[in-house]
Amino acid sequence: MTSALKASALPLSLLRRGKVREVYEVDAHTLLLVASDRVSAFDVVLREPVAHKGAVLTQLSAFWFERLAAVISSHFLSADVDEIVARLPALESFRPMLTGRAMLVQRTTPVPFECVVRGYITGSAWAEYRRSGTLAGEPLAAGLVESARLEPPIFSPATKADVGHDENVTFRHVVDALGHARAEPLKQASLGLYEAGRAYAAPRGIIIADTKFEFGTTPDGRLIVIDEILTPDSSRFWPADHYAPGRGQPSFDKQPLRDYLAGLKQEGKWDGNAPPPPLPAEVVQATSERYLEAYRRLTGKPLATV
Amino acid sequence: MQALWGERRRIGLWRRLWLALMEAERELGLVVPERALTELRTHLDDADLERAAEHEKRLRHDVMAHIHHLGEQAPAARPFIHLGATSAYVTDNADLLLMREGLELLLGRVAAVLVALSKLARRYRGLPCLAYTHFQPAQLTTVGKRVTLWMQEFLLDAEELLHRLETLQFRGVKGTTGTQASFLELFDGEDEKVRELDARVARKMGFARVFPVTGQTYPRKLDAQVLAALAGVAQSAAKFATDLRLLQHEGEMLEPFEADQVGSSAMAYKRNPMRAERMTSLARFTIELEGNAWHTAAEQWLERTLDDSANRRLVLPEAFLAADAILVLATNVAAGLEVREPVIARRVAEQLPFLATERLLVRGVKAGGDRQRLHEVIRTHSLAVAQAVAEHGAPNDLLDRLARDPAFKALKVAIQADELEPTAYTGRAARQVDEFLEQVLPAVLRRIETAAPTAASAEVTV
Repeated sequence: MTSALKASALPLSLLRRGKVREVYEVDAHTLLLVASDRVSAFDVVLREPVAHKGAVLTQLSAFWFERLAAVISSHFLSADVDEIVARLPALESFRPMLTGRAMLVQRTTPVPFECVVRGYITGSAWAEYRRSGTLAGEPLAAGLVESARLEPPIFSPATKADVGHDENVTFRHVVDALGHARAEPLKQASLGLYEAGRAYAAPRGIIIADTKFEFGTTPDGRLIVIDEILTPDSSRFWPADHYAPGRGQPSFDKQPLRDYLAGLKQEGKWDGNAPPPPLPAEVVQATSERYLEAYRRLTGKPLATV
Repeated sequence: MQALWGERRRIGLWRRLWLALMEAERELGLVVPERALTELRTHLDDADLERAAEHEKRLRHDVMAHIHHLGEQAPAARPFIHLGATSAYVTDNADLLLMREGLELLLGRVAAVLVALSKLARRYRGLPCLAYTHFQPAQLTTVGKRVTLWMQEFLLDAEELLHRLETLQFRGVKGTTGTQASFLELFDGEDEKVRELDARVARKMGFARVFPVTGQTYPRKLDAQVLAALAGVAQSAAKFATDLRLLQHEGEMLEPFEADQVGSSAMAYKRNPMRAERMTSLARFTIELEGNAWHTAAEQWLERTLDDSANRRLVLPEAFLAADAILVLATNVAAGLEVREPVIARRVAEQLPFLATERLLVRGVKAGGDRQRLHEVIRTHSLAVAQAVAEHGAPNDLLDRLARDPAFKALKVAIQADELEPTAYTGRAARQVDEFLEQVLPAVLRRIETAAPTAASAEVTV
């Protein structure tokens, strides 16, 4: 069994270290993504890694990339550690650490927008709607309640901010920045991926309330989907059997964490800022199990843990 | 629509036309006593059709029979009724008034069909279903997307009807051969007054446009153009109805069936698509009527021959009545359509493995397989499975068979059937529905509301 990983350090050139993921350069055309087990809640990265989380994110993305290839191609090349090590023999000694969590991908020029799709009104979208009756700057039907299903789903892009929160922008803004010929396929692919994902997940007990996609352009000019897709980290997963519009919904994956931290805040034991409080082992364990359960429900089989 | 084409309504219009002519003639200086007008105004809608029929039996002329009858009811107006006019003044102009109102009623009906179908399209915008080409299973589409195909045809009809309505011209006050000679004589050669008479009567009857020149009648081409628009409506409804009949055979979609409805007098278990069948039946009738109008227009001699008359008396009302009935049926069917999701899902599941083989091929090649060999393996198994499904109703186990085939087994490449999400194979269908409903439909509905406000509001709130 792979032990939980806070951060990887591979003998490859490190291009970027994100909240959860490290990006290494393999060659001019290829990258290696390594998802750690870091987890954040209330915008704070917690100290304790959540076992298997990185593998769930990686394997779930691989699952979707293949299943949804009819909608749009992706940067996915392989998430099989044998293939990766065969390609990069220098990583042989890191095999246990990489198993499940590493993904070899095609290198692209990223599109500078987060392509958010909302199928339920919640979070910042709910706040905007309550304030101005709009979503992504566009007027929305009156009388929606919190967590209401949006039919059709709404494309609600955001700029990629290096620091702090991404800023929501209108589709018009994206068109102005990229031109209609590049903006329209982004929107169409985002909506197509989300709708297929939402339809697939619902009968398996998971509501994918909203999600964020990233896209890149290949050297030959094709638009493909990159990063991770339809994972608990890039989306809001809600347990379908607890869904009740008119209020906020519990999170499928992070609810044990949130419940614990909210309790601390309420008791005045944590002010909500970094550094985060230590987490009891059972809270970490419960969270890990939620991630594994999401994977099992969506793919129909348990995560292969070595 | 039946009231519109009834005898009473037509005679009411004739009388209004006689009143408008008399008013305009008086306004332009002819000596017509005010009493003639007031008497005429009180007898617009009380024609005794039996009395008029007695006159007609004697005179063998319908317009003259009604002039005599109106003269009996309004003796002060009697000397001035129809002054300077020929029969076509009332008959043709009344037909144009009837067609104008008929077009408005039909536009309201088309709006109702569009609204009913739009609800269906919105509700099932994303429901994957089998698309058929050659009536053979092809790829996937969505139920809502298919509904927009039907809507688009009705939308084209709406635009055609609107165009006919907006460009409809009045026959006006033209005299026996269209030269206005009798009116020129009435006004002692005052050219301007005759022109004004024509325009003024048209305005009184609510027409902005008047044919600049006519023979005795307005060009019969106009009838043909209007009937062509009606035939278009019939065609759209027939295509909609035929699709429904095919889908009802597949069990995917069923027209409404009342709780106590009987399908067949002999076969009690039957549920027949009889409304859709009636739509196609009436559509065929309506489409064929159009030919009459073109022939009538083509065969008019010089300033006029009377061989148009008896034919028009049948085809104009019948075309409007049939188109109306078709649209009532279409709305009724669209509003009560039963979508059998489990059947649709089963049909999709039967075909989905075939659609997934393309992905499997790509993955096989990525895993080091030989494309040509894998393609042949897929082809062979696909044909065998298709036969088993068709002949024995066997479930589609293509993906299992491929997984077990040594060619794919060696590559460790497989797809589980239950991993397939149909929505991923529906392309832009759901978004096309959204775009159609948001960007295309509202503009046309607004145009209908503007052009035919009464009919549109009566229909769309149903």
